[in-house]
Amino acid sequence: MAAPRAAAASAKQVTRRNFAESVRELGAHLESCDYVTVAAQKTGAPTGWRRALPVDTAETVYLKAKLAAESFQPLQIAVCPFRLRDSSPSTLVAYPYNFHLFPRDELQLGMPSYSFSCQSSYLSTMANDGFDFNMCIYDGISYLSRVQESFARQKIFTTRLRPLLPSQNTSVADSVFKSRIMSRITHWRKGYAEPSKKDDDSLVGSLSRLILGGESYGSRPSMSIDVCSDHQVQLVLQAVNHISDDLVPLVVPDKAGAARAVCVIFTSSKEDKNLLLMDIHKSEEEQNLKFRGFREVIDLLSSSQKPIISYNCLNDLTMMHSKFVAPLPPNMHEFMCSLKMVFSNVVDISHLWRQIGPLRKAKNIQAALSYLQRQYFVPMEIKIPQQDVTSSVTKNEQNVLRITKLFAKLSNLLKISPECQLQSGEQCAAVEEYCNIFYPSCMVEDSDDVDFANEPDTAKTVSTDNIIFLWGFREKSAKELKSYLPGLHQVFSEDFEVKLLDRTCSALIFRNSDTAMQLLEEISLESSSLNSFFSEGLKAAGFEVYRKACRLGLWDSDLAEALEGVSSEIAASTLSECNSSPIYWNSSLMLDLKEYLEC
Amino acid sequence: MQGCLRRLLRAPPPRALLSRALSSSPPPGGGSGVAVKQVTRGNLAEALEELRGRVREATFVGLDLEMSGVTSAPWRDTFELDRDDVRYLKLRDSAERFAALQLGVCPFRWDPAKSAFVAYPHNFFIFPRKELSDCSSHEFLCQTTSIDFLAKYQFDFNTCFREGISYLSRAQEEEALQKLNFFHQDRPFSSSATSEGDGDMPLKRTADILFTERMKMNFKVWRDVIISQPDSHLSGNIKCTAGQFQTAFFKMRPAVILNGFSSHQLQLIQQVLRKNFRDLVYVCTFGEDDTSEKRVVYSDTDEDKILLMKDVHEDLLKSREARVKSAIGIRHVIDLLSSERKLIVGHSCFLDIAQVYSKFVGPLPSSIKEFALSIHKIFPHIADTRHLMNVNQAVQKLMKHKSKSLSSAFSLLCPSSHSYAEKPSSLSPVRIEVGGDETTSSCFVSGAKHEAGYDAYMTGCVFAQLCAYLDVKFEQLSPQDNLATNNKLQKHINLLSPSWNSGTVLDLSSGQERPDPGYMRRYPAAVYDNIVLIWGFMSKVRPKEIKDCICKVFGSGSIKTVFSIDSTAALVQFKKQKTVNEFLDLKALLEKTDSAISILHPLSTILEGGQTRAVKYDTYRDICSSSELKYLFADQAEAFCATSKNQLQENVDHSLISGVHQTVLTSVNKGDGTKSGSMNEDDAAILASSIS
Repeated sequence: MAAPRAAAASAKQVTRRNFAESVRELGAHLESCDYVTVAAQKTGAPTGWRRALPVDTAETVYLKAKLAAESFQPLQIAVCPFRLRDSSPSTLVAYPYNFHLFPRDELQLGMPSYSFSCQSSYLSTMANDGFDFNMCIYDGISYLSRVQESFARQKIFTTRLRPLLPSQNTSVADSVFKSRIMSRITHWRKGYAEPSKKDDDSLVGSLSRLILGGESYGSRPSMSIDVCSDHQVQLVLQAVNHISDDLVPLVVPDKAGAARAVCVIFTSSKEDKNLLLMDIHKSEEEQNLKFRGFREVIDLLSSSQKPIISYNCLNDLTMMHSKFVAPLPPNMHEFMCSLKMVFSNVVDISHLWRQIGPLRKAKNIQAALSYLQRQYFVPMEIKIPQQDVTSSVTKNEQNVLRITKLFAKLSNLLKISPECQLQSGEQCAAVEEYCNIFYPSCMVEDSDDVDFANEPDTAKTVSTDNIIFLWGFREKSAKELKSYLPGLHQVFSEDFEVKLLDRTCSALIFRNSDTAMQLLEEISLESSSLNSFFSEGLKAAGFEVYRKACRLGLWDSDLAEALEGVSSEIAASTLSECNSSPIYWNSSLMLDLKEYLEC
Repeated sequence: MQGCLRRLLRAPPPRALLSRALSSSPPPGGGSGVAVKQVTRGNLAEALEELRGRVREATFVGLDLEMSGVTSAPWRDTFELDRDDVRYLKLRDSAERFAALQLGVCPFRWDPAKSAFVAYPHNFFIFPRKELSDCSSHEFLCQTTSIDFLAKYQFDFNTCFREGISYLSRAQEEEALQKLNFFHQDRPFSSSATSEGDGDMPLKRTADILFTERMKMNFKVWRDVIISQPDSHLSGNIKCTAGQFQTAFFKMRPAVILNGFSSHQLQLIQQVLRKNFRDLVYVCTFGEDDTSEKRVVYSDTDEDKILLMKDVHEDLLKSREARVKSAIGIRHVIDLLSSERKLIVGHSCFLDIAQVYSKFVGPLPSSIKEFALSIHKIFPHIADTRHLMNVNQAVQKLMKHKSKSLSSAFSLLCPSSHSYAEKPSSLSPVRIEVGGDETTSSCFVSGAKHEAGYDAYMTGCVFAQLCAYLDVKFEQLSPQDNLATNNKLQKHINLLSPSWNSGTVLDLSSGQERPDPGYMRRYPAAVYDNIVLIWGFMSKVRPKEIKDCICKVFGSGSIKTVFSIDSTAALVQFKKQKTVNEFLDLKALLEKTDSAISILHPLSTILEGGQTRAVKYDTYRDICSSSELKYLFADQAEAFCATSKNQLQENVDHSLISGVHQTVLTSVNKGDGTKSGSMNEDDAAILASSIS
């Protein structure tokens, strides 16, 4: 199979060295584009039963995404604004950027992240794909989430320019204070502004500066005036304003953030003043980089309101929320509300491709793309105006471009148009119709395998009531279990499916929820009909036990061990109370986030 | 390593110190001029062979590790106030969670002719790659500051992650071999060699049916040709329509190699063979680079078929065994050091040794005593230069007010090779040369600070000088003599300090931990029975306020210390053990009543919010032993309580019962008699928040 043509292009690589300029460029590109694709390269992905499983409900799948978001670290985030034009053939113009991240503690406040988890097999694969870890760790851009920034702003204060407010009525005391300050500054300024003094003995000059409280700000002379309130700050600013244009006042904060002093800087000329203002602006930008860093990009995406296109949305967006917005809330509903405030429209590309019947079973982007290539004729011209020819293509930008390309083709087929206007008499759909519906990446291995999933077409709704978790069977395959269980108890003679969840535990899905209930009841009563079941060392529990294990976060152990720990605590009585909810059996169900927002 | 880093990270306040150390350090990248051999998985075998000889000749071996981090959360730092078992739990946590990224090994050989030591520094890159597919996936933690620190010293992460040598611990190797044997006995003719699934796949798709028919045809043609003209296979002139079949021989039998089929197609092929051809066998073997090769082999009789399967199976077993052996990787170095029973020298090396144990031997034992005794079996002689610096008066004087870090000790004690004339002390320094004749070869790199290989070299140099101060005469040492049993040195080895602020040394030979007389305590020794752990108070409450409000109730002299673990928890040490129970009882009572008394009570400062918990010191130990990983102590403690609720409940109940006779009860007995303590309410709160 031929690699998609777009993947040969290379995105702009952004590290902390070229971050400021790249953000400016990105901002301009965002303005001119219709959509933006986002993809992340992390230090690991959940394994074992910590992955989204076909038995998961919306609640447990969120808890798993939350765990992954909190433990792994994004090392690269690719952002690709693009626009589609319905010319013939349609054109796709994309501006891919690949940002390298590292959670360096720039402000020495123990933020953004004290530690993070790495999965060694994941890092190995990345290393084999040529991932440049040194570039990330040495020069990656750091960041603080919005919550972390507001915390940091309470801890660290920086000198800054402050605007002069229109003067209010001043009291006598104020004018006395002001005139005293004015005379002090005027006197001090004379020492620099009047060239006649140049003949003076340099010793006398420096002495007088010493006496007058002269300091220096960089190479420029400055003096500092102590203040004790914001009101006094304004008075000093007014005074400075009255004296001369060549003075620049900066407000210096104390440890608690209140103004401590005003630093008045003397500039020798108009050009010099502009130079100083530029310097100040630059250092403010550097400060912002320390306080926000890469989050500036997230803020840009958020304020641009462009639809975000992504794959594996639940995992990537929980990650972005926890790293760049705020710690993840305890449940899906609150997460959705919070996410909506940041990104109002998110399109899960796998939801989009499921809109095209035959594509429903595509396991990953690559499979969907190659199917489209074979079965549909969607001519498309791809333009990537700014290409970085110096670097090789990384996996992450390859991903972002694949998503972009797939979206372009799908939106062509589904007649999605950014403006939703009628063109050549055809009905167009708004992208909003497909927004905010996420698919948990169930069982989907992130491979380049283009095979379609070998699952039956018939999707059925399964409730948590129909599931029994079974463990203690010592490394049997699903097939072995299926033939072995009916000999143990008569309930197993009924129709059920078996799915291994990890090495130690499997799920049995009964057609009839009564059968499952009956089995659980007999287990809790330790009925003698189950003697051979128990003597084989088998254990079983209902969904409530699993839900509790997820809620308690017993992620460190095998599923069997986690369930064992919880099931000993949960009394049989709670089983009847548990409310049933649908699970993602066969991935036929999706998370429609609108539902979560309405309740 | 990490002597310096570790010390910096643990010394309060770490940040200021770290930045100071970094700003004063020389610009990184500048090599030391010491050639350090770099070993990755490409040259491990060859380096190991050479190292074997060097270690055998060596008098002692310097050892150092670089790790991906030191503490997994701020509250997991070791504190001077920690009890021995708590401190060990914290060290165990960090040894288990973080990865070893570099191993530095530097054998020092005494050359009597030159009257000098010759050092051979080696720097091994380590990466816990998943070598055996059946091993559960491995996750490790990185501490951001440690990784950033390594980056400042130009640590090459790319080499480490791409070329690092993997390993199996002794326990893992045993498990893998056991699994193999089990596999061998259990299924003499394993299904993995033949077909994977026995069940038939229904052929639904037209494409599948067509493909199946075509394969049936092709195999029939091929088999008929073999049967009719047995020689034709040799010439390879079988015309297969699609050209997908490549003919070959497999174990002296005609075979075709199946290339370019998808996994689904391979399944269909197996089904075709099973159904239609009794004399064609599907065989899947694994090549050296772990790629599988699938073949269809012609086998004319049933006996031959069984023979073939047995053969294939044995090959599989052999190759798996070989894979297990090669997966041992970097552990060969540790096994080598252990079997040669040489004196191992580290600087502040408790954590290094614990890392070595956890990565290369097996899971760390549950107590420090067991740990000491097991380590002693593996490395019978370990010397810690940091400890040795404290045993000699002259060295102590020299090092006074100086940093005890490795690089500081090195620059003070070891004169650079060209300045032997200007001695730092009256003592004539031990001469040390760096060996390695192939210095021109590409795997030698000039060593730099905080590279494990160079740090191991520095440690050895410091050790040699310290020995001179202890009046150990290397000149009189015959090659057969064991330096570790030298009477001047013997009493100072196998003594390790668990952490820089423990104030104790651990005797590895006996497993006993005893106070270090040379250590200056910042705090008076703690009485752990008098300590209460408090967490969950409002975030605005400072340790001072905790102290004040407790003093208001129990008297100004009732508290010895309040030690804050992090911003969310504190250890309160009372003067008398009696007060511990009184405090716990009073807290329980105040929480039961909902009256003005509880709001106006001085203790309300810490009880405000209703989430405050107080437990005895043993629970603190249990919380430290839990495998949870939370940044804030309060979160960790809550997670711990959620999973082991019963245990904590008991603890509280016990204190309630013991407090029934207290006089406080009479004044506040308006409690409504329900047994719902704070625990149950919390329980409800936790559930509610997760349901909504």
